[in-house]
Amino acid sequence: MQQGYVTLAHGAGGRQSARLIHDVFRGYLDNPHFTEDDAAVMEVPAGRIAMSTDGFIVSPAEFPGGNVGKLSVCGTVNDLSCMGARPLYLTCSYVLEEGFSLETLDRIVAAMGKTAREVGVEVVAGDTKVAGKGQVDGCFITTAGVGRVLDGVAPAGDKAAPGDAVIVTGDIGRHGCAILLARNDFRIAADVTSDCAPLWEGVERLLTAVPDTHVIRDATRGGVGTVLYELCDESGVGIRLDQEDIPVDDAVAGVCGMLGLDPLYLACEGRMVVIVPQGEEDAALEALRSSENTAGATLIGRVTGTHPGKVVIHTAIGSEAILPEPTGELLPRIC
Amino acid sequence: MNDSVKRAAELVRSYDGRQLRVMEVCGTHTHENFRLGIRGMLPDRIRLISGPGCPVCVTPVGYIDQAMFLARERGCTVCTFGDLIRVPGTDGSLATARAEGAKVQMVYSPIDAEDYAGTHPDEQVVFLSVGFETTTPASCIAVRKARERGMTNFSLLTANKTMDNAYRALKGSADAFLYPGHVSTMTGTAIYRELLAEGVSGVVAGFTAPELVCALAVIVKMSEKGEPFFVNCYPRVVTDEGSPSARRIVSETMEPADSEWRGLGVIEGSGLKLRDEFSDFDARIKYDVPQIQGRANPGCRCGDVLQGKINPSDCPLFGRVCTPEHPVGACMVSSEGACSAFFKYDSSR
Repeated sequence: MQQGYVTLAHGAGGRQSARLIHDVFRGYLDNPHFTEDDAAVMEVPAGRIAMSTDGFIVSPAEFPGGNVGKLSVCGTVNDLSCMGARPLYLTCSYVLEEGFSLETLDRIVAAMGKTAREVGVEVVAGDTKVAGKGQVDGCFITTAGVGRVLDGVAPAGDKAAPGDAVIVTGDIGRHGCAILLARNDFRIAADVTSDCAPLWEGVERLLTAVPDTHVIRDATRGGVGTVLYELCDESGVGIRLDQEDIPVDDAVAGVCGMLGLDPLYLACEGRMVVIVPQGEEDAALEALRSSENTAGATLIGRVTGTHPGKVVIHTAIGSEAILPEPTGELLPRIC
Repeated sequence: MNDSVKRAAELVRSYDGRQLRVMEVCGTHTHENFRLGIRGMLPDRIRLISGPGCPVCVTPVGYIDQAMFLARERGCTVCTFGDLIRVPGTDGSLATARAEGAKVQMVYSPIDAEDYAGTHPDEQVVFLSVGFETTTPASCIAVRKARERGMTNFSLLTANKTMDNAYRALKGSADAFLYPGHVSTMTGTAIYRELLAEGVSGVVAGFTAPELVCALAVIVKMSEKGEPFFVNCYPRVVTDEGSPSARRIVSETMEPADSEWRGLGVIEGSGLKLRDEFSDFDARIKYDVPQIQGRANPGCRCGDVLQGKINPSDCPLFGRVCTPEHPVGACMVSSEGACSAFFKYDSSR
């Protein structure tokens, strides 16, 4: 375990940089393709490749259920998974603030390595920069990833069709709620753990059971509600939800009640919206539920042609309410 | 969902008696009735009217101008609930002042503002003390704490309001009031019994779907009898006596004053100001704040909305010039405002 603080020398390319890379990054991320050369060199599998990149600037960098290192793997792995691509290789780029704790960095890189190994993805190349005190906040990470798209699948946001089943892969809004509590602005104590998790295993089983899955999208910023509105727009359809079927953890519901937030608009980092053709919902649910990180998969509603562009909620008292359209970020810097 | 709630919902849905105007005094009721789909299930004969129960909405333009004066001219750090930051004054909003370099700090409670003053002794901190019976006790506690600690850099710009005289000012505009659940936890129900004696009908309602539906069902049933009525439909939270300790803190710290309400004008005895012994914490006195007659956008009809005279969608600015991103009136800014609720939830827009 490294002790002390990140200094500008850690990013200057000299001995301190080399030690950081060797002891911390190589220590936790090592794999046959990991390189300290200028670029990693790998065989490219035949077929379609998916590529994605994402930046992670969550505050605080460590939160119940994860840290920015785990998050940075989950984010890109899940983006690839949404396209039906098996994640193969990642790169990572760290921007560290001068004075950042090396012990915290150690935990962040350790979580990155552990999550990558769980998914079976290799972090093959990386970069570390140090910015002066106050120029960034703590530890920012950007990851990029390459995946191999499974043959015969092509989920996309414009494929939702009337009658399709709308599924979420677990209870919603826990990441946003955990971050909100971790910041302690509201001084509310509640036991909420982020849902941050890699979802490839569940997606692979889903696509094996239901290759014709129409849509897979991870509900990160803006939460499930924002994703549903995006899909209504892209597919030219409406969506009808059953309020009683939307899974929300009791503690999350309690915090939302106190603060006037809607869990449908809180970010998730380990939840997807999945849309499958009518009649395939049981197979999809069974496949998803067989994987630990998607074990809470639930049917929450249907795609409809009757009110295009709108998400309507059928409430417990038998009334219909419109889910208000997303109006922007509830919380900045959640991922 | 239990059977009694289903029966209540059916009772409300199938109502075909005389026209009933029900005033949602509290802005959160307006929002919840939309969000839970209750407004949509009502028959035409039950009309929900939004009332004046959003503290940000009823705060007049002149108050915003005074807050801007403190931030711009007196160099104070203005601490405020987030909603107020975007409410337009005569010349810009606190958001404008902040962009120009004034210190405007968002807080979640008056106590947070007092804490901020404690940790920033070189700043003169003013908390924008708006709100009804629910938030006023916390303002009073903040002032008392500041006095105990001997702080000289914390004060309130008060615009605290009390509901009882507002009900009286509005009594002709509805057949029944949906009395605010949270305010009633403080006031208790004595005021509603007084109003009942004056012929004013209403029920105290909670905020969940079953609570709101049951409150409406009670209004429907009681109205059939043709007599004034009062029922506490939120007994799990609201007691007859309310919170005497909260009321005591307020009465020991503040005293009644006339107060201006956006749309309703000045209502006698409907506001609160700090007692003389706390005048060191009264920003108006401390910083010699002038009376300012604010000017709202002439097209804005928030005043009529707050009295239940029109629906937000009847305002010519609604949804065109005035939107949540670019609010012209206070009712579009606040998360409890009627215009914001109509904009968010009304599909006919």
